[in-house]
Amino acid sequence: MNQTLGKSLYKKFQNNTYLVLLLPLLLFVVLIAIYPLFFSFRISLFDYRLTDPNQTQTFVGIENYIRAFKDPIIFISLKNTLIFVAGTVSAELVMGLGLALLFAPETRIARFVRSFLLIPMALPPLVVGLVWKSLYNADFGVIPFYLKELGINVGRGPLGELNFAMPAVILIDIWQWTPLLMIIFLAGLKGLPKEPYEAAYVDGASRWQSFLYITLPLLKPTFLIAFLTRTIQSFKVFDIIYATTAGGPGNVTTVLNFHIYTVGMTFFDMGYAAALANILLFVVTIISIIYIGVMSRQQY
Amino acid sequence: MRTKTFRSVLYVFLLFVMVVGAVGCTPAVPEPVEEPSAPVETAKKFEGVELTLASMTDQYVAGFRYLIPMFEEETGIKIVMDELGYVDLYQKLTADFVGKTAQYDLMTVDIVWSGEYAANGYTLPLDDFMARDAAEINTDDIMPVAWTLGEWEGKHWAYPLAGYANVLNYRKDLLEETGITPPATQEELLAAAQQLTDGDQYGIALLGAKGSAVAQDYMSFLQQHGGAVLDADGNINLNTPKNVETLDFFGELFNYAPPGSTDYWWDQRETAFRNGTVAMMEGWSIARAGYENPEMSSIVGKVDVTAAPVSAGMEPKYGFGGWGIGINASSDATKQEAAWEFIKWITSEEIQKEWIKHDGAPIRRSTLEDPELNTLYPWFPLLLKSFENGDGDYRPRIPQYSIIQDALGTYVNAFLVGQETAESALIKAQEQIDANIK
Repeated sequence: MNQTLGKSLYKKFQNNTYLVLLLPLLLFVVLIAIYPLFFSFRISLFDYRLTDPNQTQTFVGIENYIRAFKDPIIFISLKNTLIFVAGTVSAELVMGLGLALLFAPETRIARFVRSFLLIPMALPPLVVGLVWKSLYNADFGVIPFYLKELGINVGRGPLGELNFAMPAVILIDIWQWTPLLMIIFLAGLKGLPKEPYEAAYVDGASRWQSFLYITLPLLKPTFLIAFLTRTIQSFKVFDIIYATTAGGPGNVTTVLNFHIYTVGMTFFDMGYAAALANILLFVVTIISIIYIGVMSRQQY
Repeated sequence: MRTKTFRSVLYVFLLFVMVVGAVGCTPAVPEPVEEPSAPVETAKKFEGVELTLASMTDQYVAGFRYLIPMFEEETGIKIVMDELGYVDLYQKLTADFVGKTAQYDLMTVDIVWSGEYAANGYTLPLDDFMARDAAEINTDDIMPVAWTLGEWEGKHWAYPLAGYANVLNYRKDLLEETGITPPATQEELLAAAQQLTDGDQYGIALLGAKGSAVAQDYMSFLQQHGGAVLDADGNINLNTPKNVETLDFFGELFNYAPPGSTDYWWDQRETAFRNGTVAMMEGWSIARAGYENPEMSSIVGKVDVTAAPVSAGMEPKYGFGGWGIGINASSDATKQEAAWEFIKWITSEEIQKEWIKHDGAPIRRSTLEDPELNTLYPWFPLLLKSFENGDGDYRPRIPQYSIIQDALGTYVNAFLVGQETAESALIKAQEQIDANIK
């Protein structure tokens, strides 16, 4: 073999090794993420019902999207989703920060409690939902039992009352996901420099002042990460709702993802369900873009 | 030092998550190794064929658990049973049918699915098998109403398996104490429910949970009040004066039901009756035997059952429901033949007696009139009467059934919790149905 050719081939390979090494990953991403994305976009332009025995797909253009904007449940579910996101994210941020501050010191008890607080996160949301559903049950559940002992009228139970169903499912989400935020904040707290605190101490700042003027501003990047991660996750909530209220009573806990599930898995109306899913994707993408923008600006 | 401990905590946590993940990923039921069975004299035509049965987790699942090993012994056909809840069963089966994956060869088919299955050809029409084996299966013995468990436009898409009658269960002791006779009409039922509600004791248990539960209970009361989902021409027409009136009646009954009722599925309704919280409960006859089982009932010996009352002046018609058993149209021919063998076997007169004794439900006249079973289950004459006047179509078994059920499931629940009036609930349900049926 010609020595120069061999050398150039070898060189070429050496220069492009990364391509070969990247190939499995690229293939994986294409199969798992890109293909379904395009497929869902394609079928969102078709009238496609799984239950149709002939499996016909009729091209309808953007009709499915127009239908979405006329669907009264879309607006109800969008509103419910926003309430859910606002409720869970704000409470989880505050409580996560509180817990992180509480358990930041490396005392034996803090370490012990910390590991226990992580358990809810490791449980499947469906299991969590079912457990809470039985805890909430108005007639046989533990929570209404003690509320009744205290002389509080629980009515139809937390999941059955129009005004309490949403707070009740939000509470479940808070219970499960606050520990995640605690971890994120703990990591943030551990990474803070000591010098500003020492300087503040010398200047005679109180603990509250150093928290307010040093800890909080320094935690801002961590705060944003936590906020955006949870917002995106919360937007996509499904399992807790499915396991507890199925969107009820009436429509008060029907979130966007649950509505999509009903359209897709009860009516098997795949074209419309795909259109709805793409709308959700659009909303989440916007949040993600903000997230990435913020992250790249905060080069800390 | 601090970061080190934090890191170790994080590592331990990650390890824990991985372990949980790994455990979650292992298949729950390892494929059992098939053992060669001992040679038997009778020729086992389908020796070694393996079938998968998707069964609803109703009481009768205990009957399957008991009888399947007997069938395997007798025929050499192996049956793996997958027990699924109502919603999961419907969705898994639909996915299996649509994808033609033939994951399940046999399936329990709810009476209300028969129209949809027929329209889409999901299950195998059994008419050829039935004609071939007519001498063996004695179809005349099967109660006429039981055929609604799978018959659609003249063909049989599922074979009758378990027939249920809608009956009224009540607590003899409580009714006697209050001096009420068992209600014979819906109006008496409401009055009795009111009288029997006192403090922590409630008159009646109902299904109120959003979804199939509340939809089916409402349709059951519709039938007892002479209302209907379909009009005379077979069109879906929910907003009629009779339907609105019945919905108001249904809502009034909830005043005498436990406060959590608007969240009840079938199992919670059963619990409320079994633990003595309520005095009356309309429900499927298959649950009756369980009330005499001290392991799951605290009202043993205090229960009696009567026909489900209809509105005063109405000709008695009783809600009929239950399950058929179907064969997947996509399964291969040998499996379909073997599956038919199982259907023939389990619905045969002889095996039906065992089926009943192990929490199954009857479909045959001979079973309902069997002296031994009548001694064991003194309510069988009532069942026979209910079956003879049974109405299997009060929940319309049309292909669009699941769309109707979803709409009623949402809006009847919304009415019960005060979000809608009876009329606006039915109007909105009708709108949702119209939007989804094209």
